[in-house]
Amino acid sequence: MHNFSANKKRLLLFVLFGWLLLLVGDRVGELRQYQGSFVATYTLAIASIILLTGYSGQLSLGHSALMAVGAYAGALSINNAHLHPVIALIIATLVAGLFGLILGFGVARLSGPYLAGTTLALAVSLPSLANQFPILGGEQGVAFDVGAPPARFGEAFSQYKWFFWISSLAALIMIWLISNLLSSKYGRSFRAMRDNQVAAQLTGINTGRLKVTAFTISAGMAGLAGGLLVMLISGVSPSAFPLSLSFSLLTGAVVTGVYSLKGVMLGGLVLVAIPEIADSVVNRIGGSEGFTATLPGFLVSALLIAAVLFAPNGPGQLLKKKH
Amino acid sequence: MKRFSIVSAVVAAGAMVLSIMPAQAADPGVTATEIKLGVSTPLTGSAGLAYGKVPGAMKAYFDYINANGGVYGRKIKLVVRDDKYLPTLAATQTTNLILKDNVFALVGALGTATHTKAYAAAALAAKNVPDLFVNTGFSGFGNTTKFPTTFTVLPSYAMEAKIMSKFIKEKFAGQAVALVAQDDEFGVDGVNGFKAGGLTIASTTLYPTSSITDARAKALLTGLSAIPGKPVVVLFGTTDVTALIFKAAESLNLVSKFTWIAGSVGGDANTLLALGVKSTTIDGAIAASFFPDAKDTSDEYVSQFMKINEKYNKGVSFDNIVLQGMNSAMLTVQALRAAGKNLTRTGLINAVQDKGATFASAGRVPLNYSATSHIGYNGYWFGQLNANGELKPYGGTLSIFTTDSAAGAVEASTFTRPAMPKNGIPTNS
Repeated sequence: MHNFSANKKRLLLFVLFGWLLLLVGDRVGELRQYQGSFVATYTLAIASIILLTGYSGQLSLGHSALMAVGAYAGALSINNAHLHPVIALIIATLVAGLFGLILGFGVARLSGPYLAGTTLALAVSLPSLANQFPILGGEQGVAFDVGAPPARFGEAFSQYKWFFWISSLAALIMIWLISNLLSSKYGRSFRAMRDNQVAAQLTGINTGRLKVTAFTISAGMAGLAGGLLVMLISGVSPSAFPLSLSFSLLTGAVVTGVYSLKGVMLGGLVLVAIPEIADSVVNRIGGSEGFTATLPGFLVSALLIAAVLFAPNGPGQLLKKKH
Repeated sequence: MKRFSIVSAVVAAGAMVLSIMPAQAADPGVTATEIKLGVSTPLTGSAGLAYGKVPGAMKAYFDYINANGGVYGRKIKLVVRDDKYLPTLAATQTTNLILKDNVFALVGALGTATHTKAYAAAALAAKNVPDLFVNTGFSGFGNTTKFPTTFTVLPSYAMEAKIMSKFIKEKFAGQAVALVAQDDEFGVDGVNGFKAGGLTIASTTLYPTSSITDARAKALLTGLSAIPGKPVVVLFGTTDVTALIFKAAESLNLVSKFTWIAGSVGGDANTLLALGVKSTTIDGAIAASFFPDAKDTSDEYVSQFMKINEKYNKGVSFDNIVLQGMNSAMLTVQALRAAGKNLTRTGLINAVQDKGATFASAGRVPLNYSATSHIGYNGYWFGQLNANGELKPYGGTLSIFTTDSAAGAVEASTFTRPAMPKNGIPTNS
């Protein structure tokens, strides 16, 4: 056991965690399974932001647009080409990755506010572009139906458990792959580039190519998350990817600690838990409709400020300091 | 290594604890004293501004019924959740209504792109949850294989376009027709309806709702003003766009150049006036409707609902949206009564299918519920707005037309609606 390499340890940890999720999914009700699926999906999307921003130093405000690309690709694969859902999700990843590659070539020269502005413009314009192509179904969009769970799981196996399995497994596999990547030479190159681009270039790192690589992988992950998201809401349409989604995900990334993939699930949990907390607060103390509607936004903002003030590198960093 | 072992141990221990927790059971939302209903609808955001009054109006009517004995002794509780007109929120909020709030049935959901997704995400078909009186005219909800438990209340946009075609052909023969429609399922349903109605259209403009501006509206009207004679301009979009186009016509001095016809969605006079359209502009404009005018206090439904609104919905002005909400709530109470004292989800669905066509409602056109049709109103009447924003029957007499969403003919109807139940409290069974 002492001969375990870091990679094998990581694999074992992911398998153990997957087993834990499997048991959790079996024991909780449908609502928690559904919420768990959202946690997995948001976790994956946040991981894609952390990879791009935290590791390669590029700031994207337009991840909802990349998710939309994957979502549409997946929906068309299922709905129009009648492919298997797993293949549709892989296509969602690849198409968004390809889109990221092309975009990466365009934006690799940009940095800081220019890059943020470009990706922001993308998030604003891309979903409404979908209205211009009849195959994308206009405002109504395209259905994304993964179908009933396989019959061999039995009758009691609900749609929500099926969602939970698919999204958790997809997120686990993807994040495992990425954490392997980040502990390899690529991860070190990413960090070197993020901390000092000139120094990285001096050590022989091709920063231009590396930026494009990061953009491509991040876009692929976002595309998969987009595919999962529209699976959970059973269809894709432009309004499913509002600008606010990009900002929520970024908030999740900041709360998690943008420089580390460890504990990325926290971000997903926060995004799903905040409306829940707001709900129970309102139930307990009552309040007007306006109060109910604005409380989640207020909580997210408060959390964001608290995170930036007290734990800019994530709660994990805070624990480390104490030692 | 040590840290890894600790993490693994914690994960494994957690798994074991979870494996002895019990599974959960579901609750249908009906007790001896209460019926819990739910609605996911926009309360905030731009759609919330226009339609946010619907749940409040429904609640007010339910409160009124509760104060008068409820439905067979059960009080109605309406759980309202805000979906901001976003599909993701509609899916999660509707799922919350079913799984967390454990509602018995849904009533009065609003929106097409949102509710189609919410329906599948919340597994309403599999759970057999009645999905009553959805506020959309999207004809796709009439597909009972895909939406077996859904009943919409508005006539479909296709019906409206077909009926409007007949009206224009009869009343404005010889005038060129220009169609200005919104570029989504609503407008496209309409365009197909005009085709099915056999109306010759000289110019069709489809605009994406997000990109119509004052400048584009002016350019559009300038283009249309080149059509000789007095063209009929059909506005098939939401009220804010109707207002934008009217205001553009005002500043270009083109109001009297056209005969204006607004669809039922975009022809709400109160909203138009509130959005700054001059009363002289809407004076004479033609609009389609299936309801009485919300300002017509001589209408027994309008006057009764106004009274309820004053007492149970304090501070909210009475308009078409409030009328619509109260009307849906009254239909719901009748459906619950028709389902009998032993209330089940299947019983409620059957009650609307079997008896829904006979329910008392404010609509001036028939309700068309049956085992094969889950679309409510199936007709329209045409009226002309006056400077006070009141819609009066076109030509002085109320003429009603009915049709279906497909290729069926448009027919004149002699429908007289059932009388308002005494004091607005249904006693049907």
